[in-house]
Amino acid sequence: MIFKLADIKGDVVRSADVAIIGCGAGGGPIARELASEGHSVVVIEEGAHFTRDDFSLNPAEAYMNLYRDAGQVITFGLPFILMPLGKTVGGTTTINSGTALRILHPILKKWHLNHGLSDITEDELNLIYAYLEEYLFVKRADPEVAGKVATTFLAGAEKLGLSCGWLPRNAKECEGFGSCAFGCPSGSKQSVDVSFVPDAVSLGADIYSCCRADEIKVSGGKASGIKGHFLDPRTEKPTGHKLDIDTQVVVLSAGAVYSPYFLLKQGIANSSGQVGKNLQIHPASSAIAVMDERMDAPKGIPQSSYVDEFQGEGIMLEGGTVPPEIHALALPLLGRRSAEAMTSYPNMGIFGGMVCESDSWGRIVKLPRRGYRPAILYSLRGRDVEKAKIATSLMAEIWFAAGAKKVFTPISGHYELTGPKDLARLERSSLRAGDMFAMSAYHPLGTCRMGGDPEWSVVRHTCETWDLANFYICDGSVLPSSPGVNPQLTIMAIAMRCAGFIDERLSSWGRA
Amino acid sequence: MRSLPRGQMRWLMEAYIAQPRDLPSIDVDSQSDFIEEYLKAGAPEFRLAFISCCLGLNLLSVLMKGKTFSRLGAEGQQELLNKCFNSRNPLLRGMTVLPGLAFLMSYYRRPEVAALLGFDAAALKAEAELRKVSRDRTLPSRGDAS
Ligand SMILES: Cc1cc2nc3c(=O)[nH]c(=O)nc-3n(C[C@H](O)[C@H](O)[C@H](O)COP(=O)(O)OP(=O)(O)OC[C@H]3O[C@@H](n4cnc5c(N)ncnc54)[C@H](O)[C@@H]3O)c2cc1C
Repeated sequence: MIFKLADIKGDVVRSADVAIIGCGAGGGPIARELASEGHSVVVIEEGAHFTRDDFSLNPAEAYMNLYRDAGQVITFGLPFILMPLGKTVGGTTTINSGTALRILHPILKKWHLNHGLSDITEDELNLIYAYLEEYLFVKRADPEVAGKVATTFLAGAEKLGLSCGWLPRNAKECEGFGSCAFGCPSGSKQSVDVSFVPDAVSLGADIYSCCRADEIKVSGGKASGIKGHFLDPRTEKPTGHKLDIDTQVVVLSAGAVYSPYFLLKQGIANSSGQVGKNLQIHPASSAIAVMDERMDAPKGIPQSSYVDEFQGEGIMLEGGTVPPEIHALALPLLGRRSAEAMTSYPNMGIFGGMVCESDSWGRIVKLPRRGYRPAILYSLRGRDVEKAKIATSLMAEIWFAAGAKKVFTPISGHYELTGPKDLARLERSSLRAGDMFAMSAYHPLGTCRMGGDPEWSVVRHTCETWDLANFYICDGSVLPSSPGVNPQLTIMAIAMRCAGFIDERLSSWGRA
Repeated sequence: MRSLPRGQMRWLMEAYIAQPRDLPSIDVDSQSDFIEEYLKAGAPEFRLAFISCCLGLNLLSVLMKGKTFSRLGAEGQQELLNKCFNSRNPLLRGMTVLPGLAFLMSYYRRPEVAALLGFDAAALKAEAELRKVSRDRTLPSRGDAS
């Protein structure tokens, strides 16, 4: 059953085989897998539970209901980077774009060589990916419903001879309502709330929404349960009711920002000193084109196409259309100039480009902030500023090839490009991190990394922590580096794998 | 408690949004209410930064132009906003950008504004209601895959 706040009339004290903290790309698959093996599973999720009937294509409402801090999570560093995180049943998958890609082969090789993770073989991962792709209805975006922005941009890329195509997505019969990031209103996107969660529940798992886990119970050097409390997710006001569960296994799947924060707060599983470090985020830039013809965004699939010509250099372009209220924020204009430009919204197209292999590493730290919030320290370093510039100018070049009259970029001194001369000036320019404005990032990873060495990693390849028996961490935080592409499918694959090890452990106790 | 007095909200909103041609008029009251709700739902530092940036803009206006922002007049306000926004100093730029997030969002989110720009959320929602997708798939067990 999925317990909502109204169902909780008093303290909840119970036991189960497994408790999972967080119901996103990591937690959801583990819940379903273990429930399907007959184990009793309880999932604790801080956010509330919503269904497609609640999703009204209202971005501001979605920010306040489905996102942590109403979508206002920002990194501290240069430049400021907006890093939205989901906080709802389904985690960030409920508000993600549905791109479903496998890890890049050379990166898995690096995991083997640099992180001692040769137990994670390509063959094993490929089997799990294949399973997930079937389970989640992954297929290439349908050009018929992708929308004008995507087809126009791809036409530009093809004109320049760049490698490009349609993204694989976990969406069934998608009709392109342009609203993936605000909750899919038709239920087409196979996010965790639509796929793993209902299946886990039908197999007997219980999900407590609006409940924040506060502490992992430890006895005899082993994890033995969790404590938490119920709260109104929008105001964060506690209801006064508590949760106390005794379990045999605990899994922390609170995401790459909140898992390390949880551990740092409690002061556990950090003998390596690596908790919170090694943060990678895939910083992203954008380019907005003004065309002669109507683009009719955001109708269509917001993120349906890609240009991967420079993937080898760590740059990936992926489209992302947005409704007017977000578009106005992405335009590098204010006041009258913004008002004038916004009247051309129907003729505008926006595309995004991310640095998917980067030199910059950030950190999650526990600073005295109000409420339940870590600080995210991150600055663009090394060649990443250059990569962000290359991504932006490449997008501009593609837009011009597609017939754009003008392109807006988020780079100071180059906000408005009117043709090849401006583009050449941008390409020649030498930028500082602070010159990038309105950058965003969607893929925090790496802050409790897996590895073969307890001195350099927080969890083993099985996702069990080195420090505490029966305590697993499984979400974006355990990926030792970016998978080179959007990470949800890889997080899910690692979660499926982790569930296998937990099942073995629980079953061996059952047999003993 | 309100973040800023309504009067101050009004002139900042008018400067930031600059009443777009052929679109509905700025509605200071409903948009201010939204901004309050949005700031309350977010991180406390964000609200604090919003207030500080709005006050900072006033201070900057006094330092650079010898008048408070509200007394600059429409032309002067636009000039100051653009000057700060185009600065290569990230702090100055950030200070101008941050209030803009809330002001612009409060206007362009209004259904009557968005619909005129081609984003009719109600119509899309109604269409989505007619095309609900069901999952119905017999699940392969994990054993079949591995
Ligand atoms: C707008 C957007 C678009 C994206 N698009 C894509 C895409 O197209 N493809 C892709 O591969 N990836 C995409 N991503 C990223 C992807 O969705 C995430 O990488 C993935 O969901 C992360 O999984 P996770 O398990 O680490 O964390 P999450 O999915 O974020 O789940 C963590 C959950 O834990 C909960 N939690 C945290 N602390 C506690 C606590 N103490 N107690 C209880 N619960 C807690 C949180 O509320 C949250 O629901 C996107 C992200 C965003 C923001």
